[in-house]
Amino acid sequence: MKISVRDVGAAKVVEVDGEVDLGTSPDLRRILFEVLPAAEMLALNLGAIRYIDSSGIATLIEVLKRSQNLKKQFVLFGLSPAVQEVFRLTHVIRVFQVFETEREALGTA
Amino acid sequence: MSDAIGGENPRRLQIKFSVPSDPRYLCVVRGAIGSLAAVIGWDEPECRAIALAVDEALTNVIRHAYHNRTDALMELECRESADGLEITLLDNGDAPDRSKICAREIGCDQPGGLGTHIIKKVMDKVSYEESPEGNRFVASKRLRKSS
Repeated sequence: MKISVRDVGAAKVVEVDGEVDLGTSPDLRRILFEVLPAAEMLALNLGAIRYIDSSGIATLIEVLKRSQNLKKQFVLFGLSPAVQEVFRLTHVIRVFQVFETEREALGTA
Repeated sequence: MSDAIGGENPRRLQIKFSVPSDPRYLCVVRGAIGSLAAVIGWDEPECRAIALAVDEALTNVIRHAYHNRTDALMELECRESADGLEITLLDNGDAPDRSKICAREIGCDQPGGLGTHIIKKVMDKVSYEESPEGNRFVASKRLRKSS
C-alpha cells in the first residue's frame, strides 16, 4: 500500500494505492490521524484501492469520529469498485460524505 | 483402479493452506480464493466478495483467537463442491465469543465488528464450532447458475 499527501488550499488530499487489510490499515490510520489536525478538510481518494476489508472500514470510521471531535471535515471521493462493494455490504456509505471527483469533494467543482 | 487419492474427488479442486497468523500472508490467500471462485463460475464482484469473506474469517482468528500473535497457525481448506464452494478454517486459539458474532448494528458509525456481518452476507451457510482439533469455522456458498 502506498500513501501520499498533498496540500490543496486549506485541504489535505490523501491518495491511497493498493490493498487495505489487517496488515496495512494501521499505517493508513496513523497517517490519517497525523494529517487530520493540520487541515481544515481531509479528502481521501479511494480510487486506487484494489482491496479493503472491515479493518480498513473501521479505520475510516475512526478517522471520521476523530474529525468530528476536532471539528474538521473528512470526505471520501473516487470510490473504486472494490470499495463500493464493501461499503454496500456493510451499509456504511451513509455515515460518510462521498463524492465522485476531487473537485466535488473539495467544493471547487 | 480409482484415480482418487485419500478418497477425494479427482475432478474437483481442493486447496489446503497452513497459514501463519501473520497478516502479510492474507493477500496470498485472497488471490488463491479469488481465482478458485472464478474457475468455479462466479463473476468478478462475487469472487472479490468470497475472497473478502475468507479474509475476514482469517482476520477474526488472528485478532480474536490469537490476539495478534504472528507465530500461530491456521489451517484453511477450500473445496470445490458439486454446487459451489466449501471453506473450513481451523485454529487453536481462544474460542469465539458467540455473543459478539454479528452483534453490532450495521450501517452505523461504530468501528469494529463488521467482519462477521460480511461473512454472513456473502456466504450461504456459516457455522462456528468447537472441536477436539480446535475452533472450526465452516462456510459454504452455492453457485446459482443463470438459466
